Amino acid sequence: MSYIGKDCIVCRIVQKRFSRSRVIWIHSKGDRRGFKESIYYKISLEENNMTNDEMLSRISHLVADGEQDQAIEAVDEAIKMGIPLLDILNKGGTEGMNIVNERYDSGDAYLPELVIAGDTMTSVVEKIFSLMDSREERVGTVVIGQAEGDVHDIGKNVVAAMLRVNGFEVHDLGTDVSVKKFVEKGLEVQADILAMSTLMTASMPYMEDLPKYLRDIGRSEDFLYIVGGGPVTPEFAQRIGANGWGRSAFDAVKICKRLIANAKGGNHDFLVVDVAAGLQ
Amino acid sequence: MSMSERMDAILNSLDKAYSGPVCSIKDWDVKVIPTTVHGILKKHGLEKTCDIDNPCNTDMELADRFYQAGRELALELGFLCEDTERIIRIDESDLQDAMNQYPKEIVYGSGDNEVIMKPRKPEDPYPPVMVAPLALMMSEEYVVAALAGFAKKKKLVDVLNGLTIDKPRGREIRSGTPYETWLGHYEQELKRQALWLAGREDMGTCGVANSTTEYGHLGGAPATPGKNPTTMCLLPAEMKICFGNFHRAIQALNYGQRIHSGSESYIGGYGGSVEGATLICIANDLLNLAILRCDNTNNNVMDMKYFSGTSRRALWGNSIAIQAIARNTEIMTDRIVETVGGPCTEFYMYEAAVGYMIHSASGACKTLGPRSAGGRFVNYITPVEGWWVGQVFKSCAGMKLTDVNALAKELIPKYENELGNPPKGLSITECFNLHTLEPSEEYAQLYERIKNELIGMGMPLNQVFRQ
Repeated sequence: MSYIGKDCIVCRIVQKRFSRSRVIWIHSKGDRRGFKESIYYKISLEENNMTNDEMLSRISHLVADGEQDQAIEAVDEAIKMGIPLLDILNKGGTEGMNIVNERYDSGDAYLPELVIAGDTMTSVVEKIFSLMDSREERVGTVVIGQAEGDVHDIGKNVVAAMLRVNGFEVHDLGTDVSVKKFVEKGLEVQADILAMSTLMTASMPYMEDLPKYLRDIGRSEDFLYIVGGGPVTPEFAQRIGANGWGRSAFDAVKICKRLIANAKGGNHDFLVVDVAAGLQ
Repeated sequence: MSMSERMDAILNSLDKAYSGPVCSIKDWDVKVIPTTVHGILKKHGLEKTCDIDNPCNTDMELADRFYQAGRELALELGFLCEDTERIIRIDESDLQDAMNQYPKEIVYGSGDNEVIMKPRKPEDPYPPVMVAPLALMMSEEYVVAALAGFAKKKKLVDVLNGLTIDKPRGREIRSGTPYETWLGHYEQELKRQALWLAGREDMGTCGVANSTTEYGHLGGAPATPGKNPTTMCLLPAEMKICFGNFHRAIQALNYGQRIHSGSESYIGGYGGSVEGATLICIANDLLNLAILRCDNTNNNVMDMKYFSGTSRRALWGNSIAIQAIARNTEIMTDRIVETVGGPCTEFYMYEAAVGYMIHSASGACKTLGPRSAGGRFVNYITPVEGWWVGQVFKSCAGMKLTDVNALAKELIPKYENELGNPPKGLSITECFNLHTLEPSEEYAQLYERIKNELIGMGMPLNQVFRQ
């Protein structure tokens, strides 16, 4: 066994725990972007004698830390160990997302970490779903973009990353996206939800155009639709025929999950989630 | 610097947008920015220097270290051009040339309404310039009266910006379309009416509020009233630029206008920590000057958690960024206080008071506000917030940073617990008389009460009337 980080309590505990196995430790403390106070570690086994729970925990941490290649390798190992695919996804990947969510919420991680973890989760989801027979187990597919005329996308990027880290398949169309592009992409990827954001009031009419366009081409029933951004209010969202509105990126994730669940039960009621205002 | 030299400098920057190193937007956002910012913070020992218990920095040595680090960031990175996905880099000589050519002062308006903006240092008694309002949404029927309401307080509001007109002539205005081109011009007509109504026809004016894209600007800028009007360029975060920004800067020079440019840097965004966002803010000031040759920069540190600039860490970041630039350069900075509370609320009065006091004492030369209710609702902005901002911002010029910090520590607890869910307040028709251009009795009483409370606590709020 070899390890770096002799002064670290976690290293010592884990060293003791794995003292009889051949473990290589790579440990760093205080030198990773945004995680100065957190403890970051990766375990790689020369000889795998991990339990299922330990393997799932490993996947969680690799996803949370955005280690894409190693996460996929760990998923392969977990599959070889016979861990069910859904457990790998939910108890491994999704738990990793919870970790990075908590880090972001508490200020221990920032937008880049969120984006990278989201990319890693996307890879894990793709890997798992490529081995599944159907798409039924996906959390959902979202096409997201900034409304036409608007190039201010940082809020939208947070929502996209947050959706990814929560297991959604996200297709980010970027900024200044026309209504037609939203719909074309939505049809192409069979999206559950179209999500449009804007910071600019002069781009808000395009938000209203989307449901009109869907009606005009006879595709209203194909998608759920959410809107958000600085000047977008729940009243506006409901008036234009959107299905939901949330104040924050966390709210957006809740909205998307609930809308999809409700739609499966035939419920298409308008939903608002605003945790800060006590609306959950 | 002659107009043609300045235009050449901007065109040189544009040339680099076609010849600089290639970098995708995603790599820029999630690799280049975080890694470089983190490395420079570490190199200069600036990590974890934020002290939220002291929201206004009083350590000038720290501000100077941030300046050196921010300058290093500017020279190492430059701006990424979104349209070509190439990096526009600058070197020492570009920056020095831009600084050498920078104006010593800027005049807004003319005649009785002339005001002169000059570079300010921390604790500088020279009064900063107040521009109002921020381009928030207002129904067309109230726009002229509301703008006149802002302009009527000559001591408090120096330069008139505009409001975003909600459904002008009953139409939805789609950005990037001919509607926007039309609205840019129409806004200037309404602005002229407002200036006439307020009796300040030679007041300085600023920007085309209804120009989401360069189209609105194309329509409105040539018709902007007043002498030496200003054009605004809002750059994408973080450390990016787009052709829309170049369009505006070039058009500004075409029509002899000032260039005001900048962007937000986000705590929790690609720059990471508050220290990272502060560093980017300083680098943005230098890059806007060198790349767009602007007359004044407008960069702000914003807290993504609240989309606000009045949280403790955002206030600290802005205080450092303003002080860093003010102490080490002659750049005239415009700093917006990103408030989130609505009109006629104690919340707004306190958060604006803290933010503008800190910005003024730290050395900001100009501000643009108010940002009532965070700009989220139509008609939730009134001239009274503008007057309040002007009174605080101008009166606090010359305050000692130690006194500012002590006062901020007393005032912040009055609003910070509600930052996540700030009060919407009252709409303009509920708390402002659009015929007499006076606040409602309730709002007038609130204004006087908070003003007297703050004067009692040591904020010299009547100083503006003696300047």
